Amino acid sequence: MEDLLNEVVPQEDLERFEKKYHHELELDGEVTTDTKFEYAFCLVRSRYTNDIRKGIMILEELARTHPDGRRDYIYYLAFGNARIKEYSSGLKYCRAFLDIESNDQVRSLEKYIKKEIDKEVAKGMAVAGGAALVLGGILGLGIAMARNKQKREK
Amino acid sequence: MADRAIKLLVIGESGVGKSSLIRRFVENKFDMNHDVTIGMDFKSKVMNVDGIDYKVALWDTAGAERFRSLTPSFYRKALGAILVYDITNRDSLVKLETWLAELDSYSDNPNIAIIVVGNKIDQERVVDREEGRKFARKHRALFIETSAKCDQFVSDVFKDVVEKIVSSEYFNNGNSSAGLDIASDRDLEASASTCYC
Repeated sequence: MEDLLNEVVPQEDLERFEKKYHHELELDGEVTTDTKFEYAFCLVRSRYTNDIRKGIMILEELARTHPDGRRDYIYYLAFGNARIKEYSSGLKYCRAFLDIESNDQVRSLEKYIKKEIDKEVAKGMAVAGGAALVLGGILGLGIAMARNKQKREK
Repeated sequence: MADRAIKLLVIGESGVGKSSLIRRFVENKFDMNHDVTIGMDFKSKVMNVDGIDYKVALWDTAGAERFRSLTPSFYRKALGAILVYDITNRDSLVKLETWLAELDSYSDNPNIAIIVVGNKIDQERVVDREEGRKFARKHRALFIETSAKCDQFVSDVFKDVVEKIVSSEYFNNGNSSAGLDIASDRDLEASASTCYC
């Protein structure tokens, strides 16, 4: 899964479909579903977070307005969200997909996202644990110093 | 230690068993459900040929029409292509002509190794073995028939194509390869076409 998520869209592909998208927009005032999808499919595989977010926006709109291709949109919504580490959204889309249809790819993506969430939780606990240790240390030191002071005052 | 990477593409019509072949080869699993591939999928496996490890990167493509215009970039840098058809569906063999044309126009490697695979030999045959073999020969491709479901000749697909790639004079292999000689129409006789799984 990591290999697939790390694969970056070739710049020329992104530019080609971006041009097509803007060309249709300027000429006809609207963009066809296919062109929107082609562009979004490139955007969510970009190396830049802003591109991925833009791709996600287009896919969200497509999923609302074009039910025929919904499985493709939902998969790439999960995929895009996983790439920008928006794991809870990613997981939501994986589950929405698997509720409707069995799919090995989506299951692998779901497994990967869950693993990353677990990693983040573990990291969070390590940080919290570390903070508790430091806090404990300071408290301990404070108590020791206070005792020392008491002893000296006696 | 597998720093030598080999990129392989798996192409063909929707439902012929591209993902199933990969799944059988990489995970040794088979699922009766037909999970329709979305866009692209990727799996990899380390293969050892003549004592050298190769990381074989398998790019699985959706057979569905809407992804055709999107996939050209995936053809790039591929050293081998696995063209799959379904022996119970003649049209899927006929359509391989179109897939070969796509490969011709998008591939940047004129010496790409091609293997034609007739899948589903566990089912009732519609396409003669000879038809598939003829098609492969016409396009100077290797040929094999398989069953992903019953695990028949699946690993041979990958072994044959990888051996052809690494033994090619164009393959940049650190040390000169031992010169494996594989005839271009090498063909494993599939005697059993029934299985009990």
